[in-house]
Amino acid sequence: MTDSVYVPLLDLACGAFLLTGVLVLWRRDLAAIVRLFAVQGADLGALVIVLGLHKGSAELMIAGVAVGGLRAGLLPCLMRRALMAGGEGRETKPLVNVAGSLLVAAVLAMVAYAVSQPLVRLTPTPATQAVPVALTVLLVGFFVLVTRRRALSQVVGFLLMDNAITATAFLTTSGVPMVVELGVSLDILLAVLVLQVLTTRMRAAFGGTDLDELRELRD
Amino acid sequence: MNLTGTLFVAALGLCLAAAPAAVLTPRRARPLLAGAATTAAGLAGAAAGVTALSGQGWSARLDGVLPLAGVRLDLDPLGAMFVAVTGAVAVCAAVYGVAYARHGLDGRVAQATPPLFVASMLLVPAAASVSTLLVAWELMALTSLLLVLAEHRRRAAVGEAALWYAVMTHLGFAAILAGLAGFAALAGGETFEQLRAAGLPPGARDAVFLATLAGFASKAGIVPLHVWLARAHPEAPSQVSALMSAAMVNMGVYGILRVGLDLLHGGPAWWWLLVLGAGALSALFGILQAAVASDLKRLLGHSTTENMGLVLIGVGAAGFLASGGDSMLAALALAAALLHVVNHSAFKTLLFLAAGSVLHATGTRDLDALGGLRARMPCTTALFAVGALAASALPPGNGFVSEWLLLQSLIHALPTSGVAGAVTMPLAVGVIALSAGLAIATFVKAFGVGFLARPRTPGAERASESPPAMIGGMALAAASCVILALAPATVLPGLSRLAASLVPGSGHPPGPVPVSGEVTLRLTGYEGTISPLLIAVALAIAVIGLLGAVRLFASRRARRAARLWDCGAGPMSPRMEYTATSFAEPLQRVFDDVLEPESDLDVTPTKESAYLVESVRFRARIPDRIERRLYDPVLAAAGALGRAATGLANGSVHRYLAYGFYALTAVLVALAVIW
Repeated sequence: MTDSVYVPLLDLACGAFLLTGVLVLWRRDLAAIVRLFAVQGADLGALVIVLGLHKGSAELMIAGVAVGGLRAGLLPCLMRRALMAGGEGRETKPLVNVAGSLLVAAVLAMVAYAVSQPLVRLTPTPATQAVPVALTVLLVGFFVLVTRRRALSQVVGFLLMDNAITATAFLTTSGVPMVVELGVSLDILLAVLVLQVLTTRMRAAFGGTDLDELRELRD
Repeated sequence: MNLTGTLFVAALGLCLAAAPAAVLTPRRARPLLAGAATTAAGLAGAAAGVTALSGQGWSARLDGVLPLAGVRLDLDPLGAMFVAVTGAVAVCAAVYGVAYARHGLDGRVAQATPPLFVASMLLVPAAASVSTLLVAWELMALTSLLLVLAEHRRRAAVGEAALWYAVMTHLGFAAILAGLAGFAALAGGETFEQLRAAGLPPGARDAVFLATLAGFASKAGIVPLHVWLARAHPEAPSQVSALMSAAMVNMGVYGILRVGLDLLHGGPAWWWLLVLGAGALSALFGILQAAVASDLKRLLGHSTTENMGLVLIGVGAAGFLASGGDSMLAALALAAALLHVVNHSAFKTLLFLAAGSVLHATGTRDLDALGGLRARMPCTTALFAVGALAASALPPGNGFVSEWLLLQSLIHALPTSGVAGAVTMPLAVGVIALSAGLAIATFVKAFGVGFLARPRTPGAERASESPPAMIGGMALAAASCVILALAPATVLPGLSRLAASLVPGSGHPPGPVPVSGEVTLRLTGYEGTISPLLIAVALAIAVIGLLGAVRLFASRRARRAARLWDCGAGPMSPRMEYTATSFAEPLQRVFDDVLEPESDLDVTPTKESAYLVESVRFRARIPDRIERRLYDPVLAAAGALGRAATGLANGSVHRYLAYGFYALTAVLVALAVIW
């Protein structure tokens, strides 16, 4: 693949990755959030495949397909199942409203851009220049964790962070060893399963999945 | 591998094999197996120490055992002395422990840990690199902590004591770690050879010495880091108390000697004046607390602080005199300190084991509840008397010899040691004299109130003699006390050679030994001789003569039995006897300003008349004043901080996540701004 094709494709994948991350803050419908997450997973897979095509590494491409399959197929499927069981369709009252969240996302993007400059300066390739995007998604994911009340939004925030970490790993290195990638993916799968069980339990105990209900458990 | 190496490796191997073996064997055979293995290990360790002290050193390097650094061992004379003492204490404690374990201490942990504890105490003085020393030190702390906790189901005080011990020992470990790690970093290597060869800037030397001094002094129970000792030593099972109080505290002295004199080659005079001052303070404070204590094992714990204080007076004087260029006197002071380490280990083992026998037989350690044991436990009483005589530093006890040598070195230092010496040395002499006097009162109290007179409680009345293994363990310790008392020349040549070689500026080969002689000990270069054996013989002749004269005089009259004069108040009850508290009351009155005792008197009059008393309640307590002034404010502040911090945690998951988020973004923003 020549650079004239590779760079726009890479930028496209990264742009979509960032956009879906920010849109998670915008939408309040939980089903839409899960859809956005699935799209982001697909973007991440595409990103890895593009990197693999550029380096001509079959291993990387397989990893891309696996990552995409897990994050665009399996995880959203699990979350949708949890959503069906609950029937709470909306993120009712986030701690920071949507407009504020989008502003914060802009600030976070700037911070991420400023912080990752030294990393980019190390090897200024097109791939490393996209690292600020991954870092922004990481911070946005953390922000989702902090401000959203529903357990499912929390899971998505957590997974956004993980997507961003995976993206950073692939962008800064020339391919993560398969063993590491397999281990990380398995971890994520287990985490989601555990969180799903927890969500169900919470609903059984409290009749809802608003995390602030857990305050009663203190001391 | 030479003889020393073979013996030392055998000792370690026996200890390390005894632990899993004790776990696997059934309960009935467990104490015997663990005790036998530890005894053999102790014997081998003591023999290795003696051969290494007499010149046959041994060193080894095991690269595969610890990651990155490997294990380095080196038995030089300084380490060998402490290995020998540890081995000897372990033998007595292990023989004793075989029978003591029947008292509910035959569990897997309680039997498997003592061999490991002994192994760690053999390893600490043999370590020849920073990492080996630290690992052995930590192993020693953890195994002793487990052993302190052995009886935690029986008494609530054990948990508290163990907590104090755990915190203090780990703070001490942190100080040693910081000091030695900084030393190794500056020296560019972590073996003791590299540390010895390194030339450090003066400020760094001071920092290394002060940090390690704090850590090692806390292990030796030196004031003001002594608060754990009088708590943890009494709460441990008695043979463990003996191991801790007679062998483990020595490691603190070893550390100070190793770092201060060996690795840093001595230092400025103020280091050693600091050591001397801390020693003097500990000697006085320890023996004062012991004099007013009424818990037998607590009393012995405070006495450990006192004796370690005396040792540090010697060490401090040695370093101070060496920094002034007087190597011969410095070597004398150091030899006296080392001899006192050996003596203290011998009599403290004996005393703690005897206290354990008393506890075993009567179920109490409270002196006010004992009494009358002389008729019921004659062997234990006789053995405790030997230990008490040694501990009170009177001839013909062994403590007397080392304290006499220490006094000689301080007195002879007077004319030569400048202004600082002219002020310090007389004060140190005064401290030693006062502590010796208080020690006599303390041990007269412990022996007289605990063992003589009539039993004060049913528990003491039902007491019976301990099983033979326990007597055997005590007898071994008593025998070593007697040998050290009558023939200190059995150990002194080795110790004075070690002292002469350890004093900085002594050169190679080291100067003449400071004390020599077989029966009569002579100081080299100064007037002063002492002959413990002749003193003992003269004392024995005098006592026998006196007894003979009394017998001769008394037997001329006919013997008649009459009732004891009791002021007409009817038969005297045991409640009228002196108790430990009442015996110490005059002392407590004299030192009222220092001790600040608390007493509480409740008088309840009868309903009919305010002048007729129905009941009187008296409660007295002597809190540790240093603990109250120094530790209580810190603990209270930590508690208040903890309570204030609970306001941060209101239970909201979002808030906790937000803390992380804010911290992360703050760090990132700071990075973005700085870079």
